[in-house]
Amino acid sequence: MIEIKDLHKSYKMGSNVLHVLKGINFKVEEGELVAIMGSSGSGKSTLLNILGMLDGADSGEYTLDGVPIKNLSETKAAQYRNKFLGFIFQSFNLINYKSALENVALPLYYQKVPRKERQEKALKYLERVGLKPWADHLPSELSGGQKQRVAIARAMAAEPKVLLADEPTGALDSTTSYEVMDLIQKINDDGNTILVVTHEEDIAHMCKRIVHLKDGVIVEDKKIEQVRAEQYV
Amino acid sequence: MFDRDVWQEIFNTLKTNKLRTFLTGFSVGWAIFILVMLLASVNGMENGFYNQFNDDATNSIFVRPGTTSKAYGGFEEGRRIQLENDDLEYITQSFPEDVEYISARYYANATARYKDETGSYSVQAVHPDHQAIEKTLVVSGRYINEADIINKAKVAVIGRKVAEDLFKDEEPLGKFVEFNGLPFRVIGIFTDDGDDNAERRIYAPISTYQRIYGNTNNINMIALTYNPTYDISTSLEFSGRLEDLMKRRHKIDPDDQSGLYIFNYAEAFDNISSFTAVLKGVGIGVGFLILIAGIVGIGNIMVFTIKERTKEIGIRKALGARPSQIVNLVLLESVFITAISGFVGLLFAWMILAAIGPTIQTPAFSNPSVSLSVVVTATIVLVIAGVLAGLLPAMKAANVKPIVALSDK
Repeated sequence: MIEIKDLHKSYKMGSNVLHVLKGINFKVEEGELVAIMGSSGSGKSTLLNILGMLDGADSGEYTLDGVPIKNLSETKAAQYRNKFLGFIFQSFNLINYKSALENVALPLYYQKVPRKERQEKALKYLERVGLKPWADHLPSELSGGQKQRVAIARAMAAEPKVLLADEPTGALDSTTSYEVMDLIQKINDDGNTILVVTHEEDIAHMCKRIVHLKDGVIVEDKKIEQVRAEQYV
Repeated sequence: MFDRDVWQEIFNTLKTNKLRTFLTGFSVGWAIFILVMLLASVNGMENGFYNQFNDDATNSIFVRPGTTSKAYGGFEEGRRIQLENDDLEYITQSFPEDVEYISARYYANATARYKDETGSYSVQAVHPDHQAIEKTLVVSGRYINEADIINKAKVAVIGRKVAEDLFKDEEPLGKFVEFNGLPFRVIGIFTDDGDDNAERRIYAPISTYQRIYGNTNNINMIALTYNPTYDISTSLEFSGRLEDLMKRRHKIDPDDQSGLYIFNYAEAFDNISSFTAVLKGVGIGVGFLILIAGIVGIGNIMVFTIKERTKEIGIRKALGARPSQIVNLVLLESVFITAISGFVGLLFAWMILAAIGPTIQTPAFSNPSVSLSVVVTATIVLVIAGVLAGLLPAMKAANVKPIVALSDK
């Protein structure tokens, strides 16, 4: 699904050049649930940005579902993001003046799905995250866990190839975190490919594979026995 | 553009920022208000000027004879030109398409007497058409008609002041009044918007006076109106043709300025028109400068809005919004604020003008108003203004990197 070969990325910080990613080789199969771990500054966010086509790599190859991702125009990148990727952010990033339903429907709007179909689809995904009764609520009327579930529904609404979650439980207490992870696990059970960036060990162990990043290189890449979040909920 | 969702988004943004929207829109609304008021004022001045001339038909031309200043066609200079009845017919026949009304004028002075009251008045002996040319308003009785001309009837239409002076409280119609000892029957009384002096005038049939003054064919001047559909340039062209023809007829050098005087009101209007055109230009100029301030205001607020919504735009882009869709959103919002607030300004200006405009009737300023074309132009200007105001902020918005939506942890 995802294939990365010798990926390099550096940032200019004034006169210094900060080499963030120093040759990443990495492959994700369809249906995997991968945790990307590392301390801050390890390059895990940069890697996620590049995977999410929010940032370009300096060198190396990136293939997503057989499509080479290189030198994209803004418009093309927007199209690919819309078609291939669903984002889940730490701070939820819901649009605060839109209802839960409208938030979930937004990626479908950019896919030019007709209004009625869009609403139906959005409602279906809200139901899937258990928030159908809250469809007309504004994000400010929802709890943190509910917001993240809306965000997950939004990420899934466009039916992307890969879900990218950047510290999805970072802003949540542990009980709510497990609820969210339970949801992510269930989505993965349905065959969706999910990448989770986290620095929390327990969250990482709820995935099926852990990739450890340190100083811009992968230091460890192992398959693990998945801990089901269900038991903590 | 007519996407329901885009409008929903715009309404949402505006609704959540009511005060900001109001303040932003106010600058543009105010600018349009001032622009419209300025144009209406210029229009009011124009109306005022035109009213000054409204006493006479605005499409009138006066032909007066003079004394030649150049030798021409075998005649020496210093020859007095005399217009006669033939000239009138000649003009009528030469310009059947151009001439609307035509009348000769023969000037005389009369000492008028009725019973014990006497007074000295100027008499204008004229044709029936003269009423239309001078816009004489007959308040009772009638004006001179063709029968009076043919019969050389001793009848007179007297001004309101003349009637007051001579008849006091008596009804003048049908009474006989003596002009220089000759009895004339009063057939009508007229008023004049122009001034009181005009009402101290007496109109009589021209044929009557020509006979009294020795069976002459002489006339003092010719007054005529041309086809009212003519615009200024056509009318000037017509008075040019008229001048050429009359000069040829009376053997006056075409370059002789004093042999024949032709006065065309259109020339005066031409001057006024160019004056008010300049005023209008100044009005539009000032209005636009104020509007630019309004546009900059909107642009400024939009830049601020974009900055505030950077995160939201980042999210949208992460969700797959194309740059063009973001530009669209910002531009539409800008155009929308500009157009709505501009319309409010326009509406206010229009209401004020409609309410107080018709009550303003001073000599130099009258009924300020705006035409439909001004409203249409203002609308187009508003939409362009909105696009201009939103363009830079929209481009800024389109360049927002979606990475910023992720980066704030």
